[in-house]
Parts: sequence; C-alpha cells; structure tokens
Amino acid sequence: MDPHPPAGAVSAAPPRIAALVLRTALWLVPCFAAWYLTARFHGIAPGEAARALVAMLKPGLVSALERQGSDLVFVTTLLVHPAPGETGVLVTEVNPLLYTYGLPLFVALMLAARASAWKIVAGAAILLPFQAWGIAFDFLAQVGIRAGPAVSLQAGVAGWQAEAIALAYQAGSLLFPALVPVVLWGAFHRPLVAGYASEQTAAATGPRLGSPPRSQQ
Amino acid sequence: MARFVIVFAVVLGALFAAELTPPVQSAFVIPWTAGLVRLSAGLIALFDPHVATFGRILQSTTSGFAISIEAGCNGVEAALILVAAMLAFPAPWKHRALGILAGLAAVQVLNVVRVVSLFYLGQWNVAAFEWAHYYLWQALIMLDVLVVWLLWIRTLPRAR
Repeated sequence: MDPHPPAGAVSAAPPRIAALVLRTALWLVPCFAAWYLTARFHGIAPGEAARALVAMLKPGLVSALERQGSDLVFVTTLLVHPAPGETGVLVTEVNPLLYTYGLPLFVALMLAARASAWKIVAGAAILLPFQAWGIAFDFLAQVGIRAGPAVSLQAGVAGWQAEAIALAYQAGSLLFPALVPVVLWGAFHRPLVAGYASEQTAAATGPRLGSPPRSQQ
Repeated sequence: MARFVIVFAVVLGALFAAELTPPVQSAFVIPWTAGLVRLSAGLIALFDPHVATFGRILQSTTSGFAISIEAGCNGVEAALILVAAMLAFPAPWKHRALGILAGLAAVQVLNVVRVVSLFYLGQWNVAAFEWAHYYLWQALIMLDVLVVWLLWIRTLPRAR
C-alpha cells in the first residue's frame, strides 16, 4: 500500500481506530447472527464452486453434491467395503461454515467503515473462490489423505499430490477464511489506510496538500 | 498497493510453508504450543486449581473437559500474517522490529484470552464452545491483527 496518498485521495480524516473497532464489534453481532441463521442457503454457492474445482482437479470423483442442514455432502464414485460382502460409495461431509465465517467479518468491517452496498456485494463475490478452495481441499484431504490408502489409491492421490492437497488444505482452513476478508477490506479502503499512515506526519507538520486533516485521536 | 500485496503474499507464503515443515514444527511450533498451554494453565491456576496440562492438552480435573491446542489455535498463523504485513509495508527496519515485537505480544495476549475463555466455555456448553472456537474467535484474532497493524502504521515516520 502506498502510505503517501496522492493529492485529493483523502478528503476527510479517517475515523478513530477505536471507533472503527467498536463499530466493527457491534456490527459483528448481527452479521454473525444473520450468517448463521442463513447457513442453509449461503453455503450452496461456494459448495457448487467447490464441486467445480474438484471436477477440474479430479474429474469423475464426485457424482453428486447434496446438503444435510448446512453441511455439504459429497457423494463420490469411490467404492468402500464397510463389511465383508458389502460395497458402497464413499460419502463425505464438509462443514462450509468453517470456510465462510469470513463473510460476516467482512460485512461488519465494511459496515463499520460505512462502505457502499456495491462494494460489500463485490467483496462477497470475491470471497467466493476462496471459500470454495477451502471446501474443495477439505473434501480432497478427506478422500486423499484421511480416509486411508485404499480410498486415496482409488482417488489417484499419492506422493506429491497428497503433499499439495495437505498444503492447500492448510492454507484454505488456516489462512484464507479470516485473512482474505481483511485484505479485501483494506483494498476497498486504501485512502482510509493511507490516512492512518499519514496521521503521524499530519500531526507533526499540520495539514498539507495530499495529506488528510489531523485526526481527533 | 501492488508492491505491498506481492511482498505480503510472498513473505506470508514462505513463512507459512516453513511453519508446516517438520523441522520448524519440532523446533518451534510444538514447544511454542506447549508453552502456550502451560502459560494458560498457570493463569487459570491463579483462581482455579483444578487444571492440568499434558503436552498440548489443557484439562479440567473436576469436569474432565479438555482442549487440545492445535494449529490455528496457537496464534502462530496470526503472528505470521502480522509479520508479513509489517515486512511488506514500507517502514524503517527499527520500526518494523519494534512493531513486530509489540504486535506479536498483543496477538499472543489475546490468544491466551481465547484459550482460557474456550476452556471455560466448553465446560459450560459444548455447542457454544464450538461456535466460538470455529468461527467467532478466529474472526476476533484476525481483527486484532488488523488493529495492531493499523496502530503500527500510524506510528511510522513519513519516508523522505
């Protein structure tokens, strides 16, 4: 990020960080509540996108994607033998909420910064592939690693592919869900962030062209 | 902006990949996590003697409820994100070093609060524990990282 905004880039003092945090915390409550109460619905889009991603990486592995409450159920083409003489297909469940909880965080941050509605909608759309990534690699980690060698062999996962799936799963579960919303918020509020970076100078030298007015902090 | 994003992504990717390697896990992550468990247990023991630790497990000796501090709960990933963001933003090295030290302390303090709160939340209600554990605290820790970073960039001198 450019810490020194061009002239006219910042038109007003950025809100106090404490005020921004307080507003975000207050918005988190209704945002998380709405996100959780509508979990049955907003998991569909990232689930379908995850299915498409899995189909690209491992064609023919998933025959259907179903829902059980808010959980996504991947019906695979992999055969399992739960008991002698019995054969079935492997069905795995993924909790999409583990990968979409960044959505209420993002919306709360945007509302706290009084962002326009189109930016919130655009941001939610940008989050989608990252959510799909997490769901897809959760599924692939289950069938390619955690289900054991008999299943991973059928899935065609071995060696470097298993390592790559493990790394992608870790990134999709530990980094993307919370990080991407914050990065997006920063990208949508570059002048605001640049305003914080300029405050120290503004406080020392007074307002100047291209610098935001001195904050009330 | 482009420079920040590229440097941030490269540094974070390198740190994250390094964190997952067995040598870094055994030399740093596992001892760090065990230390976090002991610190949390020590704080809890100040007002509640019914707590025991086993490696990365924190257990109540009265209810039997136990939590295991795993990847994502030890604050390491949040710390890596903060370090990458401070290294990617243009700043004097002295300010970076001080920012990283103070920022890591702030993140870890909140992470200890997370561990202790989850320890008691789980004994009260498992559903509430899971909700806070999987969703709410993850968001709050990242919010903490953002706030620390914003506070840090406010302290930076203007580049000449």
